[in-house]
Amino acid sequence: MEPPNLYPVKLYVYDLSKGLARRLSPIMLGEGAGGGREGAGTAGRGKQLEGIWHTSIVVHKDEFFFGSGGISSCPPGGTLLGPPDSVVDVGSTEVTEELFLEYLSSLGESLFRSEAYNLFEHNCNTFTNEVAQFLTGRKIPSYITDLPSEILSTPFGQALRPLLDSIQIQPPGGSPVGRPNGQS
Amino acid sequence: MLHVISQTPKMAQSGRPSGLPTNENISPSVTRVIVKTAGKGEDFMIADNTSVRQFKEKLSAHFECQMDQLVLVFRGRLLKDHDTLRQRGIRDSHTIHLVIKSKHRSRSLAHSSQNLLTKDPCHRDRNTKGNSSGVHQLASVSHTPVESALPVEPDAPKVHTQDLEVGYPDCIAQMLQNPSIQQLLSNMAPMRQFISEHPDLQQLIQQNPEVSNLLDNSEILWQTLELARNLAMIQEIMQIQQPEQNLEHPLNPQSYPGLETMPGGDNPLGRSYADCNDHMLNSLQDPFGGNPFTPLLEGHVLEPVQSSPLSPPQPQERRDQLPQLPTTRVIYTSSCGLSSITSANVVPDKVNHTSSASTTTISTKDRSHNWAIQQPAGVPALPSIELTQQPQAEDKDATTSRDSSDQKLKDDPQLSDEQSSSQITGSMVQLLLKNPYLAAQMMLFITMPQLSEQCRQQLPTFLQQTQLSDMLLALANPKASQAILHIEQGLQLLATEAPVLLPWVAPYLWGLGWLPSPSCSYPDTVPWAWDVPDMAEPKGPECCHKSGAARQRLQSLAGDSSHLPQAPEIRFSQQIESLQAMGFGNHHANLQALIATEGDTGAAIRKLKRSQGF
Repeated sequence: MEPPNLYPVKLYVYDLSKGLARRLSPIMLGEGAGGGREGAGTAGRGKQLEGIWHTSIVVHKDEFFFGSGGISSCPPGGTLLGPPDSVVDVGSTEVTEELFLEYLSSLGESLFRSEAYNLFEHNCNTFTNEVAQFLTGRKIPSYITDLPSEILSTPFGQALRPLLDSIQIQPPGGSPVGRPNGQS
Repeated sequence: MLHVISQTPKMAQSGRPSGLPTNENISPSVTRVIVKTAGKGEDFMIADNTSVRQFKEKLSAHFECQMDQLVLVFRGRLLKDHDTLRQRGIRDSHTIHLVIKSKHRSRSLAHSSQNLLTKDPCHRDRNTKGNSSGVHQLASVSHTPVESALPVEPDAPKVHTQDLEVGYPDCIAQMLQNPSIQQLLSNMAPMRQFISEHPDLQQLIQQNPEVSNLLDNSEILWQTLELARNLAMIQEIMQIQQPEQNLEHPLNPQSYPGLETMPGGDNPLGRSYADCNDHMLNSLQDPFGGNPFTPLLEGHVLEPVQSSPLSPPQPQERRDQLPQLPTTRVIYTSSCGLSSITSANVVPDKVNHTSSASTTTISTKDRSHNWAIQQPAGVPALPSIELTQQPQAEDKDATTSRDSSDQKLKDDPQLSDEQSSSQITGSMVQLLLKNPYLAAQMMLFITMPQLSEQCRQQLPTFLQQTQLSDMLLALANPKASQAILHIEQGLQLLATEAPVLLPWVAPYLWGLGWLPSPSCSYPDTVPWAWDVPDMAEPKGPECCHKSGAARQRLQSLAGDSSHLPQAPEIRFSQQIESLQAMGFGNHHANLQALIATEGDTGAAIRKLKRSQGF
């Protein structure tokens, strides 16, 4: 029995705010659920966000991500965002590339259609989480998946929710991944 | 419970019967697992010792697919048929991922161009050709070689249709390079059938029956196919700038449909145009006695464009006097047949600074009037230029004989005319904007008798539309007109002091609407001093009649712009009244709307209504 091929799976994490979130979030987000105590000794009164995270999964030498244009792929680091701000090792998988693409196609038709994109509920990190679990059984770090709820728990988030809901993020540079024609 | 279980020796390899206690809470031997597929998860109860194979059987029944389409993934590991679920560590409420493979196996990422195996290269090839019916109807002669050639295409990349959007141009390029395709293209009969059956082309023929004439001409077809086979040639032609392409417009599409394509076929065409030019120029030479455009263009750098090879020398004796310039021309075309003067097309052709002669050509044809202006480079130190008007018949010919005319074969000439007219107009407008002097000259040139009344009347509106009113505004500027006055006075002085120099500056004087004739009374020929409400009538009709006519025209042009200094309230007083009568009470808003719409009452009403939230 031949040993199965193991392919590494990485998570590319981008900070869409390029550091601004870290600096401005305490001021902007005001009192959050966790930081509202007076004289708590924290530097700022507001919640601290380390970044606005956009993630993608890199496997089989390709980067896959979900945006308002649906599931897209590109060479690693090939979006306009450039190289990732951090890389998380998710594990390794036996899933072959062909199988993975098949899987992505089915996802792209069901759960991750382009119109299904929602900045808070169903965003790139949702996709990445799903894919990471498929590939390795593990989830992505919680600070990424908790981000929407963190924001929504602040008055800032609540106030701007209608606006933020309409925001759609689609890093340029990818091409769509979909099911080919003629499939039965 | 868990501890109890962990102490019992678990034989991972062997599947014990259900007597073995497990850590399920539902029943001792049934595991609840979640099977996730395509994003949804479903619960399945399975016996503890289920093998993967058995599980797959169950799933295939449930999902209505074949067993070999199922792939199970647990924690990143593919589950093989001979394993048991327990072996792989699947416990209660674990999630197993299922992928149902589709039967169509080939697939690729758009950005990685891979060569894929396909089951049906012939089928795909026909599809990508876009005209399967044509292929099926291949003439029997070429049928066999083509059919046999098509399957022999594993070298050509086969990209899925969904990926065509990314790889399409490359795909086409590769396809064209394929020798079997080349062979196909070189077969006339099937290609003709092919082409004529294409739905787009049929639509085109419906709209423009002339195209069918083109198609029937086998020469043209052959040339086009020749062109199509040579991608590099296509690219090169495409890169030859657009304006050159536009030079095809002066061609009458009805006549000589294929002449341009034939080598040497342009000669009769060229000669005919040359004859036209000759006639025009002969008639034109007298009234002007000089090249009115040369002073304009001297020093004016037209848009630089690539140089193109000259046409073969035409049998024109006058032409031989000129150095063979690599087409340094600007051709102004105005199509009197078209209703709006925006068809006054400028085709900036080329600029060559090494030419030493300046010429002007005016040629006419049944559809349009062309003014060809050549850029004089290498001008002598003095700004004046020898006022020889030499016909330049080879302007059009050089361009028409170019192979780029091949492109026109498939296009409907009218369509392409309209397409390029906007480009031409745009470039012309830019040109005129940069060179207000040129615009002025153009307007004066309109006094040519050969032009129709229509053109002349339309010019004011045209100029207004094309924002040349800026130039007129500039001229309306009192300081500017004062400057012109100064020039005039300077010339006056020159005339009195050193009349011998007058011929050198004659072009400028002419441009100012004043010819060096002693009978002209200078003070009366004050040009374009628009802040002077009453203009003195020129005393010397024989020399100033043109300037007078031009001035009148400019006056009418300036008629609107000279009102501009007046307050808008006065200008639009009538419109304001009508607006108020209609019930728009806000005087200020009315005024703003009228100013924005330049006095158009209807548009102003719409604007007001919108702003007032109707």
